[in-house]
Amino acid sequence: MAAQDSVVQPEYLTAGNHHMDPPLVNMKLAQDIFDVCRSMSLWPMTFGLACCAIEMMATGMARFDMARFGAEVFRPSPRQSDVMIVAGTVTKKMAPAVVRLYEQMPGPKWVIAMGNCAISGGPFKIKDNYNVIQGVDTLIPVDVYVPGCPPRPEGLLEGFFELQRLITGKRWWPVAAKVEG
Amino acid sequence: MIFSWLHFAIVLFLLAGLLFAIGPLILAGLLAPKARGGDIGMPYECGMIPYGSSWARWGVSYYVYALIFLAFDVDVLYLFPVSTAYIDAEGLVPFVKVFIFLSFLILSVIYFWAKGVFTWPRRIQ
Repeated sequence: MAAQDSVVQPEYLTAGNHHMDPPLVNMKLAQDIFDVCRSMSLWPMTFGLACCAIEMMATGMARFDMARFGAEVFRPSPRQSDVMIVAGTVTKKMAPAVVRLYEQMPGPKWVIAMGNCAISGGPFKIKDNYNVIQGVDTLIPVDVYVPGCPPRPEGLLEGFFELQRLITGKRWWPVAAKVEG
Repeated sequence: MIFSWLHFAIVLFLLAGLLFAIGPLILAGLLAPKARGGDIGMPYECGMIPYGSSWARWGVSYYVYALIFLAFDVDVLYLFPVSTAYIDAEGLVPFVKVFIFLSFLILSVIYFWAKGVFTWPRRIQ
């Protein structure tokens, strides 16, 4: 069938023509309430690519305890997750799997690029690089960037706060005090 | 038909249970944005593309292993009630009855033994 002018092409999120359809009932108030619910029950995917994943695990464990902020349940399946934390170096070999996992997550979904490798290639952004993707945002849309090599768990928590602010339009948690030095 | 508050309550509970199960699904269908396109319909979710058909061949050893598990498991399962009730049994008849049951299970184990399953061969004759 030929493409018609009246058919509006959706905004594709990945190269595989993945896109989001708006909800059937799109009421502002209902969506606002749901956004608060969504932001307070973010289910990240268990998906560690490199050393940043160690910090991600630490964030989920008792000392930093991500559950305090409503993002505890790490899911082993993309079908059950809301947030994809790209924690580590995305190689060319791994890139199709990253995109596929992102596509298999149900909407609404968000992506946190954790660490310098996922943001821009990090230490692998060199002239002779042949196998590292220069930033995961060339593959999938990224909502929050958490810089660091690797970021401390506090950094990832801050990334989650930023994501919650992005979803609800409000920062829910106190800001950490500045430390001299 | 006689109206009974108990029946009404049961029907009410059934309806509430149904709504409790279906309600979230309907809500999610109406209020959530839908992800479409790409690999979202892929049967596997580990990030790799599945290959080959599902009519793959499996080593028959596993099948036999499962049968042996059943033989021993059922053995133990049915012997639990026997072990609790046997203390009240009188005479030799219960012993013979249990033994008949057991002998069949033992027969199955002997059958597998004779087949050479316990040596875990590559190929079962």
